Order: sequence, then C-alpha cells, then structure tokens
Amino acid sequence: MRILLALLFVVLSLPAAAQDTAAPAREKVFNAEYFTLDNGMQVVLVPNHRAPVITHMVWYGVGAADEKRGQSGLAHFVEHLMFKGTEKIPPGEFSTRIKAMGGNDNAFTAQDITAYFQSISSDRLETVMEMEADRMTNLIFPPEDVESEKLVVLEERRQRTENDPRGYFFEQMNAIVFPNHPYANPVIGWLHETEALTRENVMAFYKEWYAPNNAILVVSGDVTMDTLRPLAERIYGSIPAREVPDHNWTAVPPLKATQKLIFADPSIQQPMLSRVFRVPSENQNKEESLALEVLASVMGDGQSARMYKSLVAEQKLASGISFHYSGSARSDGTLRITANPAEGTDMDMLETAIDSQLRKLVSEGVTETELSEAKTRLIDAAVFARDSLQGPAMVFGYGLTVGSSIDDIEYWPHNISQVTAEQVQTVAAKYLDPDNVGDRPYTTGYLLPKAQPAPAPEQIEESAE
Amino acid sequence: MKQIASLLLGFMILIALPSCGEAQDSSPATAEETTADKFLDIQELKTDSGITVWLVEDHTLPIIAMSYAFKGAGSAQDAPEDQGLTIMASSTMDEGAGEYDAQSFQKTLSDNNISVSFRSDRDNFTGYLKTLTKHKDLAFDLLHIALTEPRFEEEALDRMRASHTARIRSSLSDPEWKAARILNDVAFQGHPYAQNSGGTISGLAGVTAEKLRSKVLPRLAKDNLMIAVTGDITAEELKAEIDEAFAGLPETAQLTEVADLTIQNAGTITVYEQDIPQTVIRATQDAIGRDDPRYYPAKIMNYILGGGGFGSRLMDVIREQRGLTYGVYTGMSEMDHLASLTLSTSTKNESVAELLSLAEQEFARMRTEPVSEDELTRAQSYLTGSLPLSLSSTDRIAGLMLSLQLEDLPANYLDSYDEKINAVTAEDILSVAKDLLKEDALAIILVGKPESITADKTVTELPNVE
Repeated sequence: MRILLALLFVVLSLPAAAQDTAAPAREKVFNAEYFTLDNGMQVVLVPNHRAPVITHMVWYGVGAADEKRGQSGLAHFVEHLMFKGTEKIPPGEFSTRIKAMGGNDNAFTAQDITAYFQSISSDRLETVMEMEADRMTNLIFPPEDVESEKLVVLEERRQRTENDPRGYFFEQMNAIVFPNHPYANPVIGWLHETEALTRENVMAFYKEWYAPNNAILVVSGDVTMDTLRPLAERIYGSIPAREVPDHNWTAVPPLKATQKLIFADPSIQQPMLSRVFRVPSENQNKEESLALEVLASVMGDGQSARMYKSLVAEQKLASGISFHYSGSARSDGTLRITANPAEGTDMDMLETAIDSQLRKLVSEGVTETELSEAKTRLIDAAVFARDSLQGPAMVFGYGLTVGSSIDDIEYWPHNISQVTAEQVQTVAAKYLDPDNVGDRPYTTGYLLPKAQPAPAPEQIEESAE
Repeated sequence: MKQIASLLLGFMILIALPSCGEAQDSSPATAEETTADKFLDIQELKTDSGITVWLVEDHTLPIIAMSYAFKGAGSAQDAPEDQGLTIMASSTMDEGAGEYDAQSFQKTLSDNNISVSFRSDRDNFTGYLKTLTKHKDLAFDLLHIALTEPRFEEEALDRMRASHTARIRSSLSDPEWKAARILNDVAFQGHPYAQNSGGTISGLAGVTAEKLRSKVLPRLAKDNLMIAVTGDITAEELKAEIDEAFAGLPETAQLTEVADLTIQNAGTITVYEQDIPQTVIRATQDAIGRDDPRYYPAKIMNYILGGGGFGSRLMDVIREQRGLTYGVYTGMSEMDHLASLTLSTSTKNESVAELLSLAEQEFARMRTEPVSEDELTRAQSYLTGSLPLSLSSTDRIAGLMLSLQLEDLPANYLDSYDEKINAVTAEDILSVAKDLLKEDALAIILVGKPESITADKTVTELPNVE
C-alpha cells in the first residue's frame, strides 16, 4: 500500500511541484506548441522524444465546485460513469481496451477540473483520441451500471474518508476554511448527498458541462504537431461547440473570527496540528502567487528551511512539519502548515512556536540570501519537471484549466526570478500575520487522541487526554 | 508527512488506484520493438577499483539519476529487539557526514537541488542519487562521505527516531497499515520477514550510533553492491565518479544468513476487530519466482485473475458487476526468500463474506478452467506492449535496470522478454494455476467489523508496533 500512497502523492503534488520550472533568462521551460480548434477546444503538445510513448489527456473545465447545492459528489460520479459505456464501447470496456493495447489509463476529479488520460505507445494515439472523443458526447448511462457504480463510489468514500479519523478531520477542516464557498464540499461528496444522486442528475451534469469548448487536449511525448494537428481537427474538431454555463460560485465573505477545530478520536495516537490560510491563487493574483511560492520555499522547502530548522531541529517542538502553498485553483488558493508535536509538547506550545515564526516573517521578511537560495532551488528544479511524460501534461492541463496562460507556465522560472524580498514580506503581512488577520481569518485544527472507554474501573486513571 | 499529504489529497480523486499488482510486480514487460534490436542500450562498465555499473547514456536533459542497492543488507538482518535499526541507518546517513553537520549537509543538498537519499526494505539497502549535470562532482562527493563517514550524531538520531515514532503512531489510525502488520506477523510467523521494517517504538528507542556502525555499515560493501545509472554522463566520467563514491567501501559484506520461507497459517482467517465501516482484506499465499520455469504462465495468470486492474476477473466480478469495492487486486511479489501472491481489497463490513466467496470462486475457476484466448491475448498484449512506458524518465530507467540486477538477470534480458510472454498457452496457465491456487492456501487477514465471518484467530494487540 505504501506504493499506492506514494503514487497518489506524486500525481497529486505535480501541479505545484511541476511549476518549479526552468531558466531565469526568460527561456521557455517546455517549448510547448499549441492552437485552438474551431469549436473552441484548445490543443497543447509538449514534445518529448525519449521513448516511443505518449500521454494523452483531456481536461474539462468542470469539477466538484460546479455541483448544484445538495448534489455533492456529482462531478466525481460522472467521472466514474465516463467508463460505463457508449454505443461503440460497452460499459467497463474502455480501460480493458487501453490495457490490451499496452497502455495505462485513469481519470481524476478535483474542485476545478475533471481529467482523463491514457499513457500508451505513440502509434496508438489516433485510437485513444477516437475513444476519448466518443465519450465526450455519447455516454449512455445504463441504469444498472449507474446504480452499481454508486456503490463503488460509496466504498471509495469509506476507504478514503470514513475508515480513518484523519479523513474526517481533513474533510471537516476544508469545510470550515471555505464557508459559503463550493470548495467547502468534499470532492468525493457528503455521504447523504452522494447516496441520493440519480441517473437524471448525472445526465444533466454531463450534458451541461462536457463540450469541446470546455475542454483542453494535452498530449505529451513522442509526436509532432504535423501528426497531431490533423488528428485533432478530424476527431475532436468535428464535435460541435455547445453553450456551457459560467462558474457561478458564491464567495467566502469577509469574516472576523479565527476558527478552531478540535477532533479527538480513540484511534488517534499521534496528535497533529493543521493550520490553513486562504490566500490568492495564481489565477486571482499572479504577482502575489509568485511571492507566496518563494515564501513557501523559504519557510518549508526541506530540512534547511525555516520551519523545520527552527521547530524540529533546534527547538525540538515538532517531530515533523510541512508548509505548503497551493496556488493552482480557479478561486482561492491555500497555504497549509501541518505539524506533529514532539513528545511532551502540547498543542498550544506548538501553535505558539508556529505563530512566532510567522510573526518574524511578517516583521523582518526574508533575507537576500534566503531569497536567492529559494529562487535558485525553484528555478533549477525546472529541469527536473521536464524529466517525465505525464508531469508536463499535468502542469499544462491543470494550469490552463484554472486560468493560467501558456506563457505563465513557460516563463514561470523567469517570473520567479523577478520576485523581491519586499513582495514576500508584503504577502506575509497581508495574509499570514497571526496578529492581524484582516477579513481573512485562518483556521487551526487539532487532531487529538481520545481515551478509550475504560474496560474496568481500576484502569480509569490510565486514561489521559 | 507523506501520509498527511496523501490524506489531504481528497482534493483530487481517481477513478481507481493504480493497480497494486502491477506496482508490486516490478518485473518488466517488453516492447514491440522500439529501436533496431536492443530494447535498452545498456553499457556494462567496470571501474578501476573493480565495481560494476550499468549505464544508459541519455543526453536529452542535463540530469543524472542513479539507483543502487546493497543486496541482502535490508531489515531482515535486524535482530527482533532491534527492529528499526536499518531504517534508522537509511534515514541518518544523510544527516551529517565528514566535515558537514546535519544542517549543512541537508542545506548543501537543497541549495544545489541534489537528491542523495537512502532507503531500505526487508531484503536490500538501497540508495538514490539525482543531480543536475553541473553539480555532479559535488553530488558524488556527498554520497561518498555519507557512505563512508556518516556522523550518526545523537541529535540526528533523536530527531529521526522521533520522526519514525510519530510515523508509527500516526499510522495507528490507518486500517491498511494495521492489516500489513498483522499479515506480516501471521503469514511470515517465526521469520525475520515478520518484523516491522519501519521499526518498533522500543526497537527505535534502542538504536545507538555504535549499533549502526557495528551492525549496519558492515553490510554495505563492494561485493553486494549493484548500480544503475542513466542520464547525461559518459562512461569514462561515470567510472571516475563511481570510484569516488564507492571505492572506499569494504570488499566483503558481513551478512547473516536468512532462511527461506513459505506462507504460514495458510487456510486461516485472522480478524482484528476495529470500529470502522469498511473491512480491509488481505490474503496471501505461496507463489513462484522467476527461476521457476512456470514463472511466465504464473505471471499471466495473475494478470488475468487480479493483477490487471480493470478487466481482470476479480475487478470485473467484484467491482464492475456488484459494486462491492473500490478496488480489488492481486500481486505477485518476489523477495529473496519468499515468492507470494497477495490479494488486496476492502468492502463494507456487511459484504465481507460475499466478497470472499466471490474471490474464492474466481480462484477456483482459474484452477479448473482454461482462460479464454481473448483473455490470454489481452494479457500478453499488455505485458509486452507497456514496457516503453517505463522509459519515460531517468528515474524509471535507472530503477528498471536495478531491478534486473537485483534479480540476477542479464542486461539484454528485455530483448527476449516478449518471446517468453508470447510463448505461454492457456494450458500452461491452467497447469500452474492448479499447482498454485490450491484450496486453503490463503492466509486471510481482516481488519474491521466483518459480518458473518468465523475467525480462526482474533488479534487483540497489534504485533511489532510497541
């Protein structure tokens, strides 16, 4: 299972990690080629001729945040049902056919996006394009498959969320970080709402959102635009554009009170602290987003970054800590600090220590040395982002779907190199100051052990919280 | 913190987890001819000091990746009371060495975007290096001092011990982790494989610098070292760097013999009752390794049964037709002293008996009826066709080469791989299925509150944790 978690971790952290891109002298990182079909579907090619393989991805500009109230889990449920058949490809056959051609496929849903991909020998590109285009408009939703797949999704929810209190904890943290905002709902869906989803709900959602003008094709690998372009024009270009709704989301209002979530559970043995700040995404504010990337690197990138060095190595108040900015979102981004208190450290002490690091950052900013080291790390890492088939496709697909431009991605390293210490201090003061949260209060969560109900009276004094 | 990250990832969720059958079975499949005759242009080099290294030169990007292993130096060498010794070595060797204290070592790595890290599993002690070409001398130098002059300072030991202890305590709410503890304890009973390679809390507490020096470092030597490199470096440059990093190691590894093992407690069901809505199911049995002539038929059998994810029989019957699970997989794993086949799945507590009965029916069908021509062709086509996907990054190429070396396979092994896969017939598969998938061969572990199940054993306290 460790492998599975590691894989998940890798896949899911790519959007952020892969932004760590190339050279400061305004050179492009990926040298992607692109054009737009007449029906509005954007096409991006990231050439990579190392091996005769490609990753083919279609990204839809729809995700869990677009669900109607009361229908949480719907976007993800539709994603599952995309494998449940068209007139041409019977239910359950999609992945089987990909495998029989020596390929791997999968799909994923997040708040802002739904994406489908196949990694396969490059001579199969045309076939997978035809299969993917077919299910963009021709799904049949057999009623018995809709019902059995709902059971699968409910099992998935049990596995992800309900079997481990940490799952509930993060789900609920998220819910209170985003009051009055669709990001408050879990992508997998609230149990009672997902249980109640109907075939009519999924068909309506699919018809509303799945259209070429709401999709981006990204191909990475051993193919040229001369080959890709005519295929894309014939296969995807022939699907008519349709009107797609706007992303009409409600926003988090200005708030005053910081929030604290406390959850104690008998199966928790290791306490954990989670602090979440709502901050601008790249889509909302590019300049601040770049500054937050550099800030997060100074604070959280590895064992010589401030948080680890101070709290784990020097003060011994935590046994582990992470400090991570997620800026890839259509709406608000987040900055998350997660820490395990060291043995004998109580949660208040840990939180105080985190706050004092934040205060120092707000009042003193970062040094020129820290700034230049962080930039070098981020910029050098660009080269590594290219050393992958799927990674670059993820970067473009996710980025473009949530509002970045091709140039934002290609020139990311250059843009990072322009960030100043002053900008870093400004975003710190604006969003992370524990003494002045403005109208964007942060949320802190404590996950704590809870004494087991004592089996016998004489054991009561052993129970400690 | 990786576990935390994976939980946060409720943000982006997949149609299916990558098939663990495939993930565990790292054995390569081969391509439908990519280049002229060689699948991978591996150079087998010998350095001046006599170290063998496999290299695939690739100057596409200014990156060098290296994977290497000290075979047999893994955690199965740890005494039962020292569980965690090996993992502590692998997590503290990069925490200060030679002139560098922990902070300056880590900062040098970070500032130069160099990865130098160590890992261990039951069998092997492994390492990984990745660097931009411009920092290669520094990278190999840092590796050299980490291997030969680790400081093992008290501060670093305490910090890593705390981190591992926290990882263990955090895992105590994860039913899959708990199932793994019990599976190891039950199926590998009495063997060093039963121990927790991630350490126990008391074992970790007993780790000292002296123990690391006297019990772990002597396992790392030139005669059990295997190295695979790919990327932007020539053979001559590499030979010099390899000698720089590894020549100072002892000639001969000091290893304790580890006995071979078969699955223990076959035919039993062990239950660890937990108040959760879904039962985690693991079931393992004996299988065969690559040195067995029936290996390829067994590999294809596993793919058809449950190794292939979507389209496998178990996935079809249990997930696609009945919606009983998010995923059901079988994986063949070959360790140095055990070859096994393991079923992994989960289902709501009410459905455990039904799921197990369906799985048993599929195991029985596999051993009584030949697979269809269509199933066989699809499996062969996947196994032979998907190999080029493992060439998509420098890491993966290095990892692939190292796995060949660890299994004692020749560098040209991949060139004839598809012949071996394509030679397998439905009769071969039936025959090996009859031998392997016997009734009552599985040791079954259930973590949850399974209904309508009669347990042969119940666990009240998790083994190899405290």
